Amino acid sequence: MSFVVAKNLTRNYDLSDPLIVRALTMRPKRILTAVDDVNFSIEKGTTYALVGESGSGKSTIAKMAVGLLKPSVGTLIVDGKNLNDPALAREDQLALRRRIQMVFQSPYASLNPRWRVGDIIAEPIKAFCLIDGIKAQSMRVSELLEQVGLAPSDATKYPHEFSGGQRQRISIARALSSQPEVIVCDEPTSALDVSVQAQVLNLLKALQKEYALTYLFITHDLAVVSTMANKIGVLNKGRLVEEQSPAGLFSRPQQDYTKMLLNAAPSINFD
Amino acid sequence: MSENLLEIKNIDVTFKTRHGILKAIDNLSLSVNKGEILGLVGESGAGKSMTGAAILGLIDPPGRLSSGQIWYKGQRIDQAPETIRGHEISMIFQDPLVSLNPLRRIGDQLVETILTHMPITKYEAIERARKGLEEVGIDPERINAYPHTFSGGMRQRVVIALALAPEPALIIADEPTTALDVSVQAQILDLLKRLCRERGTSIILVTHDMGVIAETTDRVGVLYAGRLAEIGDTRDILTNPKHPYTKGLVASTPRIDASSFDKTLYQISGSMPKLDAMPCGCAFHPRCEFVLDKCRSDIPSIIANRAACWLLDKEESLL
Amino acid sequence: MGKGDIMNRFLDSDFFHDFLRAPVALISFCVVLILVLSAVFAQFIAPTNPFDPASLELMNGFTPPLEANMFTGEVFLLGTDDQGRDLFSAILYGLRISLFVGLMAVTLAMVLGVMLGLIAGYVGGWLDNLIMRLADIQMTFPSILIAMLIFGVARGLLPPELRYEMAITVLIISIGLSEWVPFARTVRGSTMVEKEKEYIAAARLIGLNRWQIMIRHILPNVLGPVLVIATITFALAIIAEATLSFLGVGAPRTEPSLGTLIRVGQDYLFSGEWWILLFPALTLLALALAVNLLGDWLRDTLNPRLK
Repeated sequence: MSFVVAKNLTRNYDLSDPLIVRALTMRPKRILTAVDDVNFSIEKGTTYALVGESGSGKSTIAKMAVGLLKPSVGTLIVDGKNLNDPALAREDQLALRRRIQMVFQSPYASLNPRWRVGDIIAEPIKAFCLIDGIKAQSMRVSELLEQVGLAPSDATKYPHEFSGGQRQRISIARALSSQPEVIVCDEPTSALDVSVQAQVLNLLKALQKEYALTYLFITHDLAVVSTMANKIGVLNKGRLVEEQSPAGLFSRPQQDYTKMLLNAAPSINFD
Repeated sequence: MSENLLEIKNIDVTFKTRHGILKAIDNLSLSVNKGEILGLVGESGAGKSMTGAAILGLIDPPGRLSSGQIWYKGQRIDQAPETIRGHEISMIFQDPLVSLNPLRRIGDQLVETILTHMPITKYEAIERARKGLEEVGIDPERINAYPHTFSGGMRQRVVIALALAPEPALIIADEPTTALDVSVQAQILDLLKRLCRERGTSIILVTHDMGVIAETTDRVGVLYAGRLAEIGDTRDILTNPKHPYTKGLVASTPRIDASSFDKTLYQISGSMPKLDAMPCGCAFHPRCEFVLDKCRSDIPSIIANRAACWLLDKEESLL
Repeated sequence: MGKGDIMNRFLDSDFFHDFLRAPVALISFCVVLILVLSAVFAQFIAPTNPFDPASLELMNGFTPPLEANMFTGEVFLLGTDDQGRDLFSAILYGLRISLFVGLMAVTLAMVLGVMLGLIAGYVGGWLDNLIMRLADIQMTFPSILIAMLIFGVARGLLPPELRYEMAITVLIISIGLSEWVPFARTVRGSTMVEKEKEYIAAARLIGLNRWQIMIRHILPNVLGPVLVIATITFALAIIAEATLSFLGVGAPRTEPSLGTLIRVGQDYLFSGEWWILLFPALTLLALALAVNLLGDWLRDTLNPRLK
């Protein structure tokens, strides 16, 4: 049963000059298609990885999946509900938002530098009215901090007191505090060092097992993908050009673009 | 044995701060041979960019090279690095956007660099510039173009052309492909390798990417918290690492391998210590699986020409 | 935790450390402190109350500093003005007006400017355009002219009985409304930068509306440069008040601010009574200069590029 389904997902950007300029210079409209008719589906509790280089549209898809951007064409369906249904009442929209959260790429820009870590993690709990009472909320924050490998005493500190890897853990704790079912991970380890990346990826895997989370994992790194994904989709200039399981993709890539990516990736193996 | 082009002997780079003196680089020694590609790998804050900057005298106050010597072609250069900058040793930085002056045509920048280091006429310099562009795979007709008309990968090629123009014997490349896409990265690294083999230019390649190290370098030095943890032949180090940190780095690097899905990635617990909170003895010992008593108190130096680890000392003494 | 913790963190900070090592900052700060304290405690320091017409003795007029008056024999530290007001007291009370008007005007300008800057930067579109064009229009006029314009309009609207009482309020409003633009422009720029950062996206993901995001998330992060602008604008506001009073449209003669005193002094400068002009002018100079220097130092210290 597909939990997350993307149908004909398309996103266009109008880059045309203003009307007057176009009329005077007789230039046509310029439309940039960042995402072009992308279809994929994710089973509950699994990880779907979207791989692509810069300009492939993967970040745009991530934002559409979470509701930060509206698709120009197409729909995104989570647990049978259309994310962008105009008929949806405000409370229902909010309830749907709660079920899909995001972990961002930059550990430095994804946490408000002026807020304490405890407040950052507690904010979704308060916004979605999940737990009442300051004491109970505080306890939940401590629980979440421990789950991601930090200490409850870290709640009173500020983000700048933590390293990049620790900040990503805080980001994950914040995403978890909404009790989501789907987490979109937008290149969560691209800005991290190798040894820290391993810690964060292991953490994400463990959390997935514990909470039956569904991941949409965006990355440019095929090696990272091979430890995380059940299915891989390859994006090239906005189009999904190939979709396979990791075993299939690595041994029998179908498209030239995929073959090129596999060849170009620097490998630490000496065989 | 090829002569040592560059020799770094026991250098310290220190920063004077309100909280005391911090050592960004501690007692580092390494050498670069003629025509070889030496990799410098480490995580953020390990000191790899600092090493490149130290060689060229590009460390700004409050930091300084507080002890040690740097020898180049048999001459000491740490006192007067400006004499060899550009002409003998040049540098490639990470971000091509800021390495090129956006207000000047690439041809002008190339010609200026050439004329600064070579006593030739402007006409000859322009010819050299055109040839330089051709060698890095850029159409020489674009010599009058501005940097913003090039893509990231092309700009990095221009930067390489700039670095090669004065015909240096050594290039320091500081994360030259980190900001580029994987496919472009492969092309740039191939280009660097080819040009350097052809001309016999040595390269110090600074990076955090083990895959890049594996594919590009002949020898590699692993930096940790400002100290050299291990150094040696690349293949040797990556297939048979001796220092526990190197072992951890190699093991935690993900590989393109379908069977890795069900396995947890090896992870080194903890994180690299900050310069103002360095542990006593070996900097890695709090995170080390094989820690000995000696590691907690004595800072290891490079043993057996390979790794700064007391375990090696034990091995040696057992032989 | 709590207040003690904040105090300790401040005393430990690089900022405070740099402050103690910058002679310019230390001296300016002390000068401002002395002047502010003198103004606040004017009632206790000043020998007379210069605003009370009953206490004035016309015969005391034009007494030079530290000389006995030829009619009454009284000695005044800094002399008296044409109406017999002790200049020392008048300066202290006048400082009060200058500081009060300056502070209130800056607060008004800051609140207005920050709000408009936040809205322009976050909402963007036509609203941003509107606010920025308003700012551009306002910046083409000298702020004194704008202040005078607003002052004139307000006076025209108020019935004559209220004009006297409302003089200070109108002064504050007119200066405040003329100085909001630098705040708005800076905050707008910072807002546009912060808006793109991922923690704002995270806030949108939990359903916060625009206002909640602007006030809770963006505002704390854009206030940095505001302190510097506020300090420099404070100096400008003090000078603006003095200028308006000097031109006769500010603080009235009976409750003179430093500007008014300077105006009076100017009339008598060349007939020999130099002290009526000199001392208020020096005080004003000291205050404005100290505040400006403090503001400059703050701007250089807080500049992240130099870290």
